[in-house]
Amino acid sequence: MTERHVNPEDFDLYALGALDGEEKQAFEAHVHVCSACAAEMVAAQERVSLIGLAAPPAIPSPAVRESLLRRIRSERADSATPTAAVSSPQTRPRPHPFAWLTPILALATIAFASLAVWLWTRNAEYLRQIDALQSQLASAQTQSRDIARTAADTDKLLGMPGTVRVGLKPMTGMHNGRVGVLYNSDMGMVTCAGWLPAAPPNKSYQLWLVPMKGKPMSLRVFSGEWNEPMAMHVPAGMVAKAFAVTEEPMGGMPSPTGPMVMEGAGE
Amino acid sequence: MTVPLQPAPDSALVERMMAGDENALTALYDRYSGMIFAMLLRILRDRHAAEEVLQDLFFQLWRGAARFDANRGTLPAWLMVIGRNRAISRLRRLSTQEIVEDVESWPANAVPSSVNIEDETQRSLLMEKLRAALAALPAEQREAVELAYFEGMTQTEIAARTGSPLGTVKSRVRTAMQSLKQRFEEISARSR
Repeated sequence: MTERHVNPEDFDLYALGALDGEEKQAFEAHVHVCSACAAEMVAAQERVSLIGLAAPPAIPSPAVRESLLRRIRSERADSATPTAAVSSPQTRPRPHPFAWLTPILALATIAFASLAVWLWTRNAEYLRQIDALQSQLASAQTQSRDIARTAADTDKLLGMPGTVRVGLKPMTGMHNGRVGVLYNSDMGMVTCAGWLPAAPPNKSYQLWLVPMKGKPMSLRVFSGEWNEPMAMHVPAGMVAKAFAVTEEPMGGMPSPTGPMVMEGAGE
Repeated sequence: MTVPLQPAPDSALVERMMAGDENALTALYDRYSGMIFAMLLRILRDRHAAEEVLQDLFFQLWRGAARFDANRGTLPAWLMVIGRNRAISRLRRLSTQEIVEDVESWPANAVPSSVNIEDETQRSLLMEKLRAALAALPAEQREAVELAYFEGMTQTEIAARTGSPLGTVKSRVRTAMQSLKQRFEEISARSR
């Protein structure tokens, strides 16, 4: 087959959704008949999907999880109900001896339906309150687990030979923050505790490990106020000369570009 | 010293989900809902809408688990691709038919992964590297990529939105994607 393949750059552009018009039509027409390009397009989809991971961190409400489970259980229950109904034999209705009760029963049904609606409304309100409380509880549990994990890592670090303590000192532009770091190069582990105020608008604070050799390594980008301890892993054997916090464009940078606001070397 | 338990791989959880195990679904939800939700929220800019799409996505996963073929693609990549399609469709108010089609075609469009994002630590590192990679692009290139990815705009629409010539926009998007592809390949090689 001598047909020309598509422009290699077009795979990512198509997966991104940027191609349009004739370019898009030509691309789709070719990929439809070329298995090699179809496979390459699938790889491009994965690559491009990763861009979404760069979105600012966010956590859904725990109520979504609960609602998802309720939906699944409800669907299971619904799928079980028709089976029973279908299996019931159809019978011809016979005149009822107490037909005169029908209007009374109808009124009673309306009354019960109204009661059911009222109860359902109250129940929905209670469920919303429960969801909100569960949301707060789950959030607290997650935070508690993170803190416990970091505390365990900190204990581990404190007991190991070669662990270095670094207290970062505020520099120009940083008046309130305090950051302490525990670091063990053999274990490749860093824990960090303290407090940083929110960075200025459209800026982030970024924590760096400055190695003896090579470029500084980004450890964490802080988008808002930070006060929760955290643990991080770095390549084992990387010896730190210092740790620093810089002010960078929102989202952080691959290497430091902004002013240093905190800095500290090992004790 | 205790050795931490290895979390179950996605493929095992999907198998359990196919057998009707709700706990397997919740394990996958706990593993990936954060990263998917962050993307959905960035696209939709509305927590309620993002949570609805997130729930629909995992509900669809629950119903379609039997179609998952771990040899042909990874689950998180599928979730990202389908989740983004759904969010963009909602954002642009496209018909739901288009949304259904991509789900029905799974795993024909399954996405293989060369990057391990099942592991939480690897995933966090990857997310930081990707944020840094995007942040490192020149502002015009980053804007073009973000308008395409997070707002579902084509090159022509980006040109109209930014007031830049179409040729300039094409050049920006192509250059940006080349830089990102190179960065992704470096990240992928290091994670192996």
